[in-house]
Amino acid sequence: MSLKDFTVPRTARRLLRAEPNLRMFSRLWQINWFFVLLICCLAGVGYIALYSAGGGRAESFAQPQLIRFCFGLLMMLGVALASPRVLRLLSVPIYGLSILLLALVLKMGHVGKGAERWINLGGFQFQPSEFSKIALVLMLSTWFYRIGRERMGNPLRLIIPALLTLLPVVLVLKEPNLGTATIVGVIGASLFFAAGMRWWQIIILVSPLPFLGPFIYSHLHDYQKARIDTFLHPERDPLGAGYNILQSRIALGAGGRWGQGYLHGTQGQLSFLPEKQTDFIFTMIGEEWGYVGGAVVIGLLFLIMLSSMLIALRCRNRFGRLVGLGIAMDFFLYCVVNLSMVMGVIPVGGVPLPLISYGGSAMLTMMFGFGLLLSSWVHRDDPDY
Amino acid sequence: MAFRPSRKTSRPQPEQKNGTEKRRFFLAYPLERLRAWWDDRKENPLSWLEKSRNRLVYLGMGFLFLYGGVAIKALFATILAPMAPLPNQIGSSIPEIPHPDPRAMAGNGFVLPNIRRASIMDRNGQPLALSLPVVQVYANPMEIIEPEDVAKKLRTILPTLNVAETVRRLKQKKQFVYLARNIAPVDELAINNLGIPGLYFENGEQRHYPLGNVAAQILGSVDIDNKGIAGVEKFFNQRLMQDHTPLRLSIDARVQAAVRDELNEAKNLFRAIGASAILMDVHTGEILAMVSLPDYDANNFAHAADDARFNRAVTGMYEPGSTFKLQTAAMALQLKVAHPWDQFSTTPIHVGRFTISDLKTDHFAPWLALPSVMAYSSNPASAHIALDVGRERQHDWLKNMGFLDRVPVELPEAGRPLVPSIKNWGETTVMTVGFGHGVAESPLAIVRGTACTGNGGYLVTPTLLAREHLNDDVVMAEDQKGPHLISTENSNLLRRILRLVVTKGIGKKAESPGYLVGGKTGTAEKIGAHGGYLKHVNITAFTGMFPMNDPKYALYVMLDAPQGTAETHGWTTAGWIAAPTFSRIVTRTAPMLGLFPLDAARAQQLDDQLALPLTPSVPPGVRHPLGPGNDPGAVTVNRLAARHGAHHTH
Repeated sequence: MSLKDFTVPRTARRLLRAEPNLRMFSRLWQINWFFVLLICCLAGVGYIALYSAGGGRAESFAQPQLIRFCFGLLMMLGVALASPRVLRLLSVPIYGLSILLLALVLKMGHVGKGAERWINLGGFQFQPSEFSKIALVLMLSTWFYRIGRERMGNPLRLIIPALLTLLPVVLVLKEPNLGTATIVGVIGASLFFAAGMRWWQIIILVSPLPFLGPFIYSHLHDYQKARIDTFLHPERDPLGAGYNILQSRIALGAGGRWGQGYLHGTQGQLSFLPEKQTDFIFTMIGEEWGYVGGAVVIGLLFLIMLSSMLIALRCRNRFGRLVGLGIAMDFFLYCVVNLSMVMGVIPVGGVPLPLISYGGSAMLTMMFGFGLLLSSWVHRDDPDY
Repeated sequence: MAFRPSRKTSRPQPEQKNGTEKRRFFLAYPLERLRAWWDDRKENPLSWLEKSRNRLVYLGMGFLFLYGGVAIKALFATILAPMAPLPNQIGSSIPEIPHPDPRAMAGNGFVLPNIRRASIMDRNGQPLALSLPVVQVYANPMEIIEPEDVAKKLRTILPTLNVAETVRRLKQKKQFVYLARNIAPVDELAINNLGIPGLYFENGEQRHYPLGNVAAQILGSVDIDNKGIAGVEKFFNQRLMQDHTPLRLSIDARVQAAVRDELNEAKNLFRAIGASAILMDVHTGEILAMVSLPDYDANNFAHAADDARFNRAVTGMYEPGSTFKLQTAAMALQLKVAHPWDQFSTTPIHVGRFTISDLKTDHFAPWLALPSVMAYSSNPASAHIALDVGRERQHDWLKNMGFLDRVPVELPEAGRPLVPSIKNWGETTVMTVGFGHGVAESPLAIVRGTACTGNGGYLVTPTLLAREHLNDDVVMAEDQKGPHLISTENSNLLRRILRLVVTKGIGKKAESPGYLVGGKTGTAEKIGAHGGYLKHVNITAFTGMFPMNDPKYALYVMLDAPQGTAETHGWTTAGWIAAPTFSRIVTRTAPMLGLFPLDAARAQQLDDQLALPLTPSVPPGVRHPLGPGNDPGAVTVNRLAARHGAHHTH
């Protein structure tokens, strides 16, 4: 790997590697600081964009988000130093907690914008569906770590992890949040794939999917159907359901090459852009900074994806590699789904742009995930026990 | 890198070259290779790490593929094929968004065919009001053969159509029923293509206000005959019907929306019953934003409450309170009645059953110099200054400044101020007017007066029309500036005094770091239903300008009957309510106006130049400065007190 071990000087690395039980402080050395820097850059972009989304004021969105990020950064570094053994031990309670929260949200969740997605945790709103992704990654990685490679061939061994995946998927689907449910499902599937599921099993599982489309469509909620219709014909109802997509497309188009200038986006500053500080923040970036600004953001996101994938590849043990892949997958899906949604490629669903969009749950869970990723980097040379 | 290197099988060479050998099957070699790879894999199975590495690489390639697609899509969305609104959207409701240089749009015009009423746009070409062609669909039920079928077909084109209701109408024994109103021409075409006999269309146009609540009271509305009945629509009714080029207003929709947003937040925070704000260019008189709350969706004028339609900025008349002390100071300085070093008594004045006093006198010295009078906003001292100016001169000054007439602006709603006639303008009036009571002025008049004190002394005419060919850098010709009522030196002095109110006085909460704001607070107690002032029910206002080193914009903020919060310690005075709102609006809108905060060092440097001592020392050569022992107003005050006092004892 070209990116291999670029942070710690070679001698220091050797010394550290010689010592299997690294102490806390020396482990700090092992953290991939380049990756941390990339994350800080992304959060910086988010701060600047939120400053504009708040109408040229930090107090509305940028300031609280920055405080959350600082908190998240500390949490990330803390998790990064945690040993995989501890993480594996914690994975079951964390998974259980996430399921519990998902169930709670269905029972007594806070209804926002037509769906129950939030839960009130002592003063602040929390979206358990975000958290469930990370919990699922941890849980499945632990599971596949435990059953080992040889037993992957036995289909019976895959039933329990399949149930573990389906449980959060179904619960999130009930909220209803189709976008996040799909993401949770895809993350689970990718872990199955990377863990070494046999090709014939994959083919058997995947082949009926195309025929399921009409079936799923017929079971969608009316608003979800309407969303798909709107997506196909946004101009039908330009002031109603199609408003989101159209305004977003117009704003992006108005940005052009260099954009309308920071704090000068017509659509954004006039509050025409719905959800401009959350899901549609990229539209505002595109409108104010143009393609050039958008490309910088896309490039930065790509660098983070690449690094997290490389970290997963560099990890020499099962657990770390699977966790790394899961987190990389989570981040990647966030980005791709959000960007394509904003550009009108796929129907709208509440998926934020990681670390840039305003919102606490997504930011904190993402940082927790990055902590796991860094932990697998710190312990990349640990053997499989 | 996806596969481990396997045993090499070299491509077998044909043994005989004479052509008797049968030609090998063309896939034979690749199949052999595949077989070899398969055998090899069976002999040496991959370790878990190798296998998962391969799979990660597959996934990574998937990433790359998808993400590359997104990046290319972004390129298309912004540059190669920017998604302007589709043409048929204009037919339905969304106006074309001007792009890329909105200013060019205003010149070329944005004229839809078959539309009689011209559109209205903001200074940047953002449409504020526009008529769109619409069609009414009606039917002759006698000609309709299958009502259910017709309704079902119509439903495919008009998703909001109520099928049951349509069927009911079509079954009526009538010659004429409306089926749908105000549909888009695209849908008309689609319905026409259905080829249903008995359906007919009627052309019309509908006025749309794409920004909804933003600038609702300014724009006004039209009636069903397309005639303006309020606001700019009424004032420019003829112009809009005759000239088809868009009418370009001085309003900046972005600024207007931001000001409205901030004001609304403050109104909700302090639970005020109403609020108003005006942002004006001090040199040209162009109104960039004028907000009155509560407001309404301009598309829904008919159902708006009267209170929402009421434009507090021009129709509402409020006692200006202490903001008027700025005028008192201006006239005193200009008439050379007072100088910055002159001192005035703050002792409460008793006139009949009224007492002119200050809210908090404990920190007031019995005598305050002119800058301190403004900074601490002393009522008795202002009354003394007004008395020194005198009845005629005060009246003339206010007349010249336009405070006694309808404020000239392009709105039919502009109202007349409530002022006593000259006959009733007695000494008591002189004193109360000196600190802004006894007269009621519209917020726009106050802004106009404020601008005059800061722009070098020219009285501008407020306007809602964008000045053509005049960008921010062009200096207006002398004859365009309006009457020069305050000398440049006095204007400079007043600027420093207004800055002092914010840096040292009771307007500290208006400070907006880096923008050098200055201004004057004003709190007036509201008059109750039975006359007489209501305690603790206030009109709080702040009128000011920024940046004070070279004022460009005047901003007025008013909140009607706010209630205190924990943060204001229950206070409902302007310094606690209007001043912070002023600051929030400045910091939010200034960047949109092209003003960015100065860095601290530069701001400090300019502040030092603007600084003015609270009690300036008397310059050498001045014989008799006003102050203890030299107070011409005291005679009047004593006379009034004696007369009413004697009356009182009876």
